[in-house]
Amino acid sequence: MKKALFILFISLFLGQASAETKRFTIPLEGSPSLGPQDALVTIVEFIDYQ
Amino acid sequence: MAAGPAVEKIVKEYGNKVRLVIKFYPYKYRDFARISAEAALAASDQGKFWEMHGLLIRKSPQLDRSSLIGYAKQIGLDVQKFTLSLDAHKNAGIIERDLKLALELDLFNTPTFFINGRKVIGNVPFAYLKKIIEEELNAKKK
Repeated sequence: MKKALFILFISLFLGQASAETKRFTIPLEGSPSLGPQDALVTIVEFIDYQ
Repeated sequence: MAAGPAVEKIVKEYGNKVRLVIKFYPYKYRDFARISAEAALAASDQGKFWEMHGLLIRKSPQLDRSSLIGYAKQIGLDVQKFTLSLDAHKNAGIIERDLKLALELDLFNTPTFFINGRKVIGNVPFAYLKKIIEEELNAKKK
């Protein structure tokens, strides 16, 4: 139990961030885009206007 | 749905550090979902995608054909060209392509974001989007 807690503490300490760390590759050609092509962060938003 | 204010705030705050790309996932049981996407792309063809995009989000759910033509007028589009584009489903190809991708990705909610490929589902608050973006920016610094 203590060991499990210790490991947990270390993982949290090392900054394991949010749950979603799986990364999807989304094709971007032909979609409306704002901002530089080589921006550090790309946000793809799937939307429904209604 | 689209995450209007939160995303606008992100773009404003991070400027050139972020790139925002829009993909269309019209829900088939919402009457105006598809025609609004057509409207956005028709506006895009005339160089005013973001003006129309913002307007559609603000005016939703008033997205029937007449209203859309009104919005086109409001943002100074060539209304005749816009209307033709709408009625001819000129941009159906792009919409279908995005829809197909959304289904392949098993998306079930809008908006769904991919931030450097990381999936974020639903109309999350600005603070949450910011958190993910900060993580991504920090990771890039290393």
